[in-house]
Amino acid sequence: MFIANPLDSSELVFPVLECFHIVGFAISIGTIAIVDFSLLGLAVTRESPAQLARDTWLWTLGGLVLMLFSGLLLFSSDPDEYLLNRAFLIKMIFFVAAVIFHYTIHRHALETEGTTGSRKAIACVSLILWAGVIFGGIFIGFVYPGLGTRF
Amino acid sequence: MMLSFVQWLQSTSFFTALRGSAYAYPVVLSLHMLGIAFFGGMILMTDMRLLGLAMRKKSISEVINQFRVPKRWGLLLTATCGLLMFGSKAEEYYYNAFFRTKLILFGLLILHALVFRSIYADPTSLDHFPTAPTHAKLAAALSLVLWIAVACCGRGIGYIEPPLDKIRAEIHGTNYALVARSAITILEKGLPRCCFCKLTP
Repeated sequence: MFIANPLDSSELVFPVLECFHIVGFAISIGTIAIVDFSLLGLAVTRESPAQLARDTWLWTLGGLVLMLFSGLLLFSSDPDEYLLNRAFLIKMIFFVAAVIFHYTIHRHALETEGTTGSRKAIACVSLILWAGVIFGGIFIGFVYPGLGTRF
Repeated sequence: MMLSFVQWLQSTSFFTALRGSAYAYPVVLSLHMLGIAFFGGMILMTDMRLLGLAMRKKSISEVINQFRVPKRWGLLLTATCGLLMFGSKAEEYYYNAFFRTKLILFGLLILHALVFRSIYADPTSLDHFPTAPTHAKLAAALSLVLWIAVACCGRGIGYIEPPLDKIRAEIHGTNYALVARSAITILEKGLPRCCFCKLTP
């Protein structure tokens, strides 16, 4: 526990990692959202959602890895503070749920021909879960442990 | 002139209310990020297709055309939220070096859109080539670099809090050296504590 975290060596490391984190989630959530909008029939309707998912899965995975690694490094800067932060805990619940949902139910729905209704519901759940991750992430900075929202 | 405009803007009752609300700012910021998350992927896929790195089974025009309209929604959502945040703290943003850089980048993006208009507006001509021609690849690479720079500057804005009171007190002579110095001091001293809450002094 007495190992110095290289993250503390420069004040620039944290914000730079945050930028990687943002680019990572723009890639991963962005590619997932493309498939979801297509499932909903709102956009990108010329291509089947399954085909879109085949076109983008590698980018989704790459973005997730970038997001996860930069996120873990950000977390390591002060784990205690994060673990006491209610917004962070909510974000983690949404994140774990979103990832599990994406690689189980979401993927299964693309591989099989479900009803339009069920496919739309799955797209909605996916978008809501990822939106929860984003909101949780932003609120980390606005919430003190146990004290609610403050500026 | 510009300064009096931003002061007027943030003093309007709408932006005063927005600034005073405990939840409005983080909610608007979250929606701003949501816009990036949901629609940034479309910019990425468009540019990566031009570079020949994604969706290669589809023609260039198919990829560009199908993302054009949803990308506009995304821009609308993200820009609206961005303007709301700017309006509520317009004077602070005015002095913020990252915000100013971001504005320059937006200028470059508009220039980019004008210069490479034919590629994004009428991509069918690109379908004749097996891979996109060099100028199209250049357009894609520049677009990616500019948008990533915009995102990074956006994140940077939160790290600078110009000391308005101090600036206002000395502003009558418009002491730009002081403005720059204060920004640097904030950047140096503010960063380590900014990790969790930029508002923790």
